[in-house]
Amino acid sequence: MAKAASLAARPAAATGQPEESFLAGLGQRSLMLLVYAILLLWAFICLFPIYWTVTTSLKSAVDVTQGHLVPWLDFMPNWKGWKSLGLSPDTIFETSTVRDEFLKRFANSVVTSVGASLIAVVLGSLAAYGLSRFEYKFGPWRNEDISFFFLSQLILPPVVLAMPFLVLYKELALLDSTIGLILLYTLTVLPIVIWIMRDQFSSIPIELEEAAMVDGMGVWGAFWRIVLPISLPGMVAAFILSLVLCWNEYFFAALLTSTEAKTLPVMVASQTGSQGINWWSMAALSTAAIAPLVVIGIALERYIIKGLTAGSVK
Amino acid sequence: MKLEHYGLIKAQASRRQVLKGAASVGAMGALGALGAWPGTALAQGELRTQLLQIPGVGAGSPTDADWQKVGELCLEATKANVTEGEFAGVELTFMGLNNQNLHNLLFRGFLKSWEAYTGAKITWIDLAQADYNPRLQQAIATGTVDFDLLEMGAPFEGDVCGKGLASEMPDWVKAQIDMDDYVDYLKAPVGTWEGKTYRISIDGDCHNFNYRTDVFSDPDLAAAWKSEGGQGEWGVPKTWQQVQAATKFLKGKQVAGQDAYGYLDAPKAWGGFGFYFLGSRATAYAKHPDDKAWLFDVDTMKPRINNPAWVRAIQDVLDALPAEPPDQLNADPGTTAFQQFLAGTGSMVSWWGDVGSSAKTSDGSVIGDTVGFDILPGSDDVYNAKTGAWDKLPSGPNYAPNMAYIGWGVYVMARVDGDAKKHKAAWSAAAHLGGKDISLWASAYPSGFQPYRKSHFNVAEWVAAGYDEAFITSYLNSQSNSYNHPNAAIEPRIPGIFQYYSVAEDELAKIFAGQYDAQKGADNIAAAWEKITDQIGREQQLALYRASLGV
Amino acid sequence: MASTPLAAGRHYKHGAEDLPAGRRAAGRLLILLATLGLAAVFVVQLLDRLGVLPLGLPNWRPLLYAYVLWAVALCVGQVILRGEQGRRALFVLPALLFTISMVIFPTAFGLYIAFTDWNLSSFAGRQFNGLANLKALLQDAYFWNALRNTVYYVLAVLVEYALAFGLALLLNAEIRARRFFRIVFLLPFMLSPVAVSWMVGKSIMEYRFGPAATLARHLGWDRPAFFADPVIARLSIMAMDAWVTIPFVLILLLAGLQAMPKEITEAAKVDGANGWQTFWRITFPLMLPVSLTAIVLKIIFKLKLADIVINVTAGGPGGATDTVTSFIYREYRDRSNVGYGTMLAMFYLVLIIIFVILLLKFAQRRMRQGLG
Repeated sequence: MAKAASLAARPAAATGQPEESFLAGLGQRSLMLLVYAILLLWAFICLFPIYWTVTTSLKSAVDVTQGHLVPWLDFMPNWKGWKSLGLSPDTIFETSTVRDEFLKRFANSVVTSVGASLIAVVLGSLAAYGLSRFEYKFGPWRNEDISFFFLSQLILPPVVLAMPFLVLYKELALLDSTIGLILLYTLTVLPIVIWIMRDQFSSIPIELEEAAMVDGMGVWGAFWRIVLPISLPGMVAAFILSLVLCWNEYFFAALLTSTEAKTLPVMVASQTGSQGINWWSMAALSTAAIAPLVVIGIALERYIIKGLTAGSVK
Repeated sequence: MKLEHYGLIKAQASRRQVLKGAASVGAMGALGALGAWPGTALAQGELRTQLLQIPGVGAGSPTDADWQKVGELCLEATKANVTEGEFAGVELTFMGLNNQNLHNLLFRGFLKSWEAYTGAKITWIDLAQADYNPRLQQAIATGTVDFDLLEMGAPFEGDVCGKGLASEMPDWVKAQIDMDDYVDYLKAPVGTWEGKTYRISIDGDCHNFNYRTDVFSDPDLAAAWKSEGGQGEWGVPKTWQQVQAATKFLKGKQVAGQDAYGYLDAPKAWGGFGFYFLGSRATAYAKHPDDKAWLFDVDTMKPRINNPAWVRAIQDVLDALPAEPPDQLNADPGTTAFQQFLAGTGSMVSWWGDVGSSAKTSDGSVIGDTVGFDILPGSDDVYNAKTGAWDKLPSGPNYAPNMAYIGWGVYVMARVDGDAKKHKAAWSAAAHLGGKDISLWASAYPSGFQPYRKSHFNVAEWVAAGYDEAFITSYLNSQSNSYNHPNAAIEPRIPGIFQYYSVAEDELAKIFAGQYDAQKGADNIAAAWEKITDQIGREQQLALYRASLGV
Repeated sequence: MASTPLAAGRHYKHGAEDLPAGRRAAGRLLILLATLGLAAVFVVQLLDRLGVLPLGLPNWRPLLYAYVLWAVALCVGQVILRGEQGRRALFVLPALLFTISMVIFPTAFGLYIAFTDWNLSSFAGRQFNGLANLKALLQDAYFWNALRNTVYYVLAVLVEYALAFGLALLLNAEIRARRFFRIVFLLPFMLSPVAVSWMVGKSIMEYRFGPAATLARHLGWDRPAFFADPVIARLSIMAMDAWVTIPFVLILLLAGLQAMPKEITEAAKVDGANGWQTFWRITFPLMLPVSLTAIVLKIIFKLKLADIVINVTAGGPGGATDTVTSFIYREYRDRSNVGYGTMLAMFYLVLIIIFVILLLKFAQRRMRQGLG
């Protein structure tokens, strides 16, 4: 967005409703109808599989295999999926090994993904800020090389790190530990945070910090007092993307955890195997697994959008 | 309850639902009877009857409370060998499968009373099925075996027992679990590894033949069969030649207003397990009664996968696929059994016992009262690998049931051997899970395990539990006749066996998609197998292969 | 700001500071001492492991702690030694030291494994075998087939990008219920790949009962088998992957759009450009940097596509949907062929790095031309 600043110097029109520019150019009322039609169609595409998942947790297998869609209308919902997890109204107060297992994994998932995302956002934002503001030279490496080094950590298919990480974690006594999993997840989402935040910081006019420095703040002071508040929403967005990726990570969780640090995705995958599939319990587990993400998504949505619009704060 | 009744009325009355209603009425009667029993010490027979009433056939899936009750009722055998609190302070780790919240989670319920009685504490490592093999192999290779007890399929014995990682079974355990009661094929040599016993069997595995009785007794189809010049009477196929003919005949036909299909093949890869299904088609061609080997030559480890018998089985699949449902190319065995056969599509499928045990008890099944069982079909002729000729046996068609996967077992790892208390505790826990009575319950209710003991084949016990006699007889016979078949094709327990299967699946997928013909594809598999054998070590593989066959 | 060279004007000027010689010496000493300490711990651990100096250390944790201390000392030392420049380095050092410490051993060990014959079931264990894995790879029809499929999948990123861009424009417009649409459009990203495989691939798109198949029948497709024909199966996998990951691209693009100064498009309108022209002349070029980040990240995700393929088609029919990553999974996990699987991945890594570098270079040149 380097050139944005210079382009912005062109005379600005003072008309209202600037955001409509794209549509306004195209114009008519029928077009707005088309726009809403597209939005609704895409909303349907997004929602239908989620709807299907949630309702499947209330279906018997025969309702699944006959493709029934609407509860009460063409199938009678029951608590089957939730019962199998010990989370239905009639089982919630009974002892349930499955529920204990679910709750333990759920708690671990929360700690692991929140922990990893927080660390990644902190480390990643600092690094991204540095990379967008200063010229580094570590030996032959310059900024671009450093950025690419981070990015390259994202490229390798995780499967080939299985044996090396197994050996490494065994030697460091980090197997089956939440801290070990957090460190690994931090590593995997760090490049994404850095690349997103680099775009963020680049779109914040440098003049703000320069003014602050004239007032006698150091680089860290300027970062802390001026840049951070502006870009905090952007960090929230990066945090949420990281959270989702960590929350659903399956491969390393299956490899490196045993009894203590185990997380939810392995349990979701356990609903299928050589005896077919428990549609209802997989659906119930998937529903339970996305529920917290949806809540966070709704709570923080404004930050996601606003966050990544740091540049508009001028 | 209310909801379900409403569902019964509301939904279109299908056979399944009528059946379901009948079953729950039966269960209520049975539960009433249970309540009338005296709560005092039960004789063996009464214990088994009582076990089978938890929670009762047709009373829905057993819950955690049921598992715990079963575990508690079956604790007597443990009490005979262990004093109360004897293992206080012992901590054991158990690695096994979580398959649809059964296996490991079921074991937890079974072992709760054992833990309370002995004072030991068990922690659990649950793996999804797809991770099981890699996790086990990687743990072995990096020395991260961090478990004392292991639930494992017998085919992995080459990797675990072959590397000295398992603890040998003490004699008191053999007595406690009554090993003599095992069906014969699970005893030595299949039940042992190089002459030593490691496995507590908790399951027996074989593929049997599941078919639709209504399709093969349909008068319209019988007439059509005659008019189209089909050989003999329209009926349940007994040989693969008949299966092929019936499958091709059923293409385009209708039964009860629905498209009829014959045999259901599973061409899509399934993490190595899909190979068993080609195996089930091939054993009747490839397993000669005079020859114990059928997958590799016993002298050279040369693969037989590209011999005429296997190529014929592959060709059979290719010939049958056009007559199977249009999406069959993307069907894995899970699809054929649970989404097709049990849901009413197709009329023949090879599978483990789960199809039979689900047919009446699973909500996904619409075919409960129209399913029959038999051992796998035979073949009019069988390939003789020594002479290279197709033999016709004087006794008639050659049958060779496929003992696919042999069964799950519980193993104790050698790392407890140094600690006498831990050693005894681990074996006691394993013996509890492999007990004679507990296994009866596990084979009758959803658990993931099939009958595997002679005492499981007592039809009267099953009928008393609420099963339909004709149905359960047919089911149990298909199992026991497979286990006890003199020409059963037994899976070699060599290290890395799933590597062979996995690479075969890759090539088979290409053949089924029409990229190679059967022979060329089979040659490719053979070449890949030779490479694996060389990589793992030909001499050792050969020795272990011979040992596993008992030659 | 993707990889455009950082324009000089965007940076603070570094001025060489005059720091007292004593302070610089102290900084150097700190770093030196920390480094010596780290080296000493390493040597002691190594000797212990080799049995020369049997201390009975149960694991390499001490080295880990020593590394953390060294890293802290290095950061502090930088500030003492180089003043302002050190404080600036402090922004990027923690991430760098963290990443290096996490990957240095796995990468080195992985590289070594790539040149060994290591089948986990093998009796001989790990054996160095030079370039044999590489030779085998070059002749491996499965690898090249999977690579070709992967190219198709990567091309689909362009379609996903176009779709996401269109949706982002709509969301950026003055519409009602904007919050609702934004949240809804984000949802698919949250479902785990395993759940997507089963709930969408094996249930909604199921031939017999799936609602998608039913819909297709209503639309006149008699035999809606989504995964039986090679081309259709590939498209189906692409569609599922797109469903999951379009939200990711969408968020980044929407953010970029909102960050764009509105005055610019307004100015274009005053100049008489219509919406279409405004988009192509102003909006699209301005969005190029954000687009590049979005596309690069999305391509990298795409190159690692595996879960959905493994669960839904297992690479079939006949390898038509196989991806390099799913093939590596089979080789590495199902067949325990760790040496060869690692070589596959390392080779793939090199291919991808070359590809991404070329992509970035190309994009930068275009951007400079486009904006120059």
